[in-house]
Amino acid sequence: MLKITDLELLVGGVAHLAAINASFQPGTLTTILGRTGAGKTTLMRAIAGLIAPDRGQILLDGTGWTRLPPWKRPVAMVTQQFINYPHLNVRDNVAFPLVRAGVAKADAAARAEAALARVGLAAMVDRRPSALSGGQQQRVAIARALVKKAPVLLLDEPFVNLDYNLREAFRKDLVDLLAVETGTVVLYASTDPREALQMGDQIVLLADGRIVQSGSPRDVFANPASLTAARVVNDPPINPIPFHQNGVADFGALGQQAITLPSGAYTLGLRASDIRAGGPHQARVTLTEVTGSETLTHLSLNGLDLVMQEKSVVLRSPGDVVGVHLDLHKGLVFGADGQRAGV
Amino acid sequence: MYRQKYLFLLPGLLVLVAIILFPLLFTIRVSFSSWDVYNPGLNWIGGENYGRLWEDARYWQALGRLTLLSVTTVLIQYVLGFALALMVWRDLAARRLFRVLFLIPMMTTPVVMSVLWRTIFHESLGPLNPILESLGIGAAPWLSSAGWAFAAVVIVEVWQWTPFMFLLLLAGLLSLPNEPYLAAKIDGAGPVRTFFSVTFPMLGAISVGAILIRLIEASKIMETVYVLTSGGPGTSTETSSYYIYIRGMRDFQIGYSAALSLTYLIIMIVALTVIAKLLVRALVKDAA
Repeated sequence: MLKITDLELLVGGVAHLAAINASFQPGTLTTILGRTGAGKTTLMRAIAGLIAPDRGQILLDGTGWTRLPPWKRPVAMVTQQFINYPHLNVRDNVAFPLVRAGVAKADAAARAEAALARVGLAAMVDRRPSALSGGQQQRVAIARALVKKAPVLLLDEPFVNLDYNLREAFRKDLVDLLAVETGTVVLYASTDPREALQMGDQIVLLADGRIVQSGSPRDVFANPASLTAARVVNDPPINPIPFHQNGVADFGALGQQAITLPSGAYTLGLRASDIRAGGPHQARVTLTEVTGSETLTHLSLNGLDLVMQEKSVVLRSPGDVVGVHLDLHKGLVFGADGQRAGV
Repeated sequence: MYRQKYLFLLPGLLVLVAIILFPLLFTIRVSFSSWDVYNPGLNWIGGENYGRLWEDARYWQALGRLTLLSVTTVLIQYVLGFALALMVWRDLAARRLFRVLFLIPMMTTPVVMSVLWRTIFHESLGPLNPILESLGIGAAPWLSSAGWAFAAVVIVEVWQWTPFMFLLLLAGLLSLPNEPYLAAKIDGAGPVRTFFSVTFPMLGAISVGAILIRLIEASKIMETVYVLTSGGPGTSTETSSYYIYIRGMRDFQIGYSAALSLTYLIIMIVALTVIAKLLVRALVKDAA
């Protein structure tokens, strides 16, 4: 088990990681989900030993790692960039960690070729990384990480620099590849909640260097503990609609759980998919984004900026007026402190 | 119309022929003559000079000494230059300081530098022997013993040209991508292993270039030997260039020194070509 306790990293007085406490079981894939700058890469690099935390401990099966240099840590890592050794061919690239670990060259080459076959690069073992496409280069990096058979595998947004179709295909391939890594703790950093829902056994939400929630992907998605968590776990981000409650009222129909709210200021978090076209509220279109087969329409409604998600391509122009319906009963209520209210 | 483009090349070609080809062709012609202090002119004597050269043990000894001197100095320069470049590679302040500091020996005129070193090596008046004595190492007959004189030439050459290696290799190190170093750390390679598995192979092409440039320059060594030892004691530090200079300019055997020069040129071209191919095969992965 990989255990992290009280991990903290300050850079120029700013906390890049703060009070990180988490446990990761072997054979599980945990998605570290957070927006850009949330601290995902910093956390991965701290685990790998590429940066030294100011406080806290990293333990694998009870053994402390914090003082070990990166090359002595049983970790494999794939980064956002396609990192390979430009002076070595693909086979030698993948064999590199094995040779470093003292495996005989012939055996290392054979194991490297087997790993390359698993990622679909059996025919390219003699090529240099520079002769491969970006996707193929990243497959080489993945093969190099897998062949090491390290107890901890860190995948830091490995497909972020690939195009959409390739990313989808690779994600599925990676799930298949990782299915056989039974004893490995796999941490997968991502900014995409869909990836987390699709891939992870567990999800850890990171914001401003802190863990804001963890649990099973479905639970976290259905019941974000705070507005910050709701923002991280929803893409497009959840629509915050501030409101004020005077007097105790029962909002039993609101959200998925019955709640009773005392007087105070609140925010109703409404998912973009819970706003539909064809309703009574007249909203003005400010921007339309078509992503694949979906349309995200940015709206202005009574001074509120909202995003509506539709499962079809609908072309609208800025300034158009569209009638919308808000499924308020699906909303999540958060208190003034940003925490889930009335749960 | 298409062929007229060659007309535009003609002036440049003529200059090239004049400055390169003519001296070479003239030297070839001179090498087949008996031109010396008594019989100046291009009197044809066939391959007599080349026959004499073949039996000239002093020439071949000078060539062997030159080979030893070149290989020794360039290897030391490479190792020292690489070590110094690695030391300051990651340190910006040190890099700036050493880059300026190390330019000084390179900017020094070889003759001036050799005079300075001759003073330093002076066995009774120079500062080196007292320093060695104070350190308990003992004085050395720097310029009066064959072995020590050879060592003195090596030291001066290394002192003057290590900065060249340093600057070339530092430029190479600074051009290396950072990503493979990150990968090497993750893949279990410590600093020493990273050097041999990542830094050294990635600097292969630059290393070959630097070594070859220095070998070409070292094979022409003349000023240092002339000022520092005059080829002595005896002929113990005499190199090919210096021997050719003695035969040509001191003994005025123009025909014979032309034959010596041409032979030397051919040997150097062949040797450096072979060395270049071997170095590329050994150090540059793309050539494999």
